[in-house]
Amino acid sequence: MDPIDAELALAEVRARRDQVVTSTLVPSWFWPATGALMLLFVGAVESAVPWLVATGSVLYALGLSALILAVVRHSRVQVRNSLLGLRGALAIAAFTVGLVAAGLAVAFTLDAFGAPLPATLGCVPVALALAFGGPRLMAHLRRVMLSRPLADAR
Amino acid sequence: MTGVEPRFDDLIHAPTRLSLVSLLTAAEWADFKFLREQTGLSDSALSKQLTTLEDAGYIDIRKSFVGKRPRTSARLTPAGRQAFAAHVAALQQIVARSGLEVTP
Repeated sequence: MDPIDAELALAEVRARRDQVVTSTLVPSWFWPATGALMLLFVGAVESAVPWLVATGSVLYALGLSALILAVVRHSRVQVRNSLLGLRGALAIAAFTVGLVAAGLAVAFTLDAFGAPLPATLGCVPVALALAFGGPRLMAHLRRVMLSRPLADAR
Repeated sequence: MTGVEPRFDDLIHAPTRLSLVSLLTAAEWADFKFLREQTGLSDSALSKQLTTLEDAGYIDIRKSFVGKRPRTSARLTPAGRQAFAAHVAALQQIVARSGLEVTP
C-alpha cells in the first residue's frame, strides 16, 4: 500500500474521532444558563420569603431538568470513557471543587464582614466562573481526548 | 499501539467502513442518525455497511426506545476494536517504513 494512502487513512481516523469528541461536549449555552439558574435559586432561598423560596426552588428544579434534558436529547453518541480517562475526570473534579470552594470562601468572607445577601453575592463569581470556565473546561477535555492513541484494542 | 500485532484489514479499509469504524472506535455507542449525518450516507447505504460490519462480528446493532421513539444504535465489539487497532497499527507501520512521521 502507498504510504500516502496510509497517511490519508490515518488522517480520516483522526478526523472522525474529532467529530465524535466535538459532538459530545456540553454546548456553550449550558454553562451561563446553569449559572443564572443557580444564582436565582440561591437568591430566592436567601430572601427567606416563603413564596419566593418555593417559586425559586420549583423554577430551579424545572429549569435544571429542562437544561439536562435538552443536552441528553441532543446526544446521539456517547464518547468512549477511556478517552476521557483519569486526566479528564480529575479536570472535571478540580473544576467542580474549585467552584464550590470559591463560592463558599466568598460567601463566608462577606458574611463575616456583615454584607447583605452573602450567599447570593458569593454565588455571583461562581456563576461567572461557570459561564466562562465551562467552555474552557470543554476545550481542555477535547484536547485531552484527542491526545489519546488513535486506536485501543481494549 | 504497543501489544497490537499490525494486520491490514480489507473489510475495515473500504472508505465508508473506515469512516464508520473510526467514528465507533471513539464512542461507547453511536446513534444511527449520528452515523448517517456524519458520513453523509443514505439510510440504505448505511444499513448495508453496518450489516457487513455486523456479519463480520465487528459491531453490535441495538434497537431500543427513547420514550416512544425507536432508536437504532451501533457499537464496536471487542473483536471489532481489536481488528481496528491492528489495522491502525498496520497503517502506522506502512507510514513509518516510508520514513514519514507517524502520529500516535
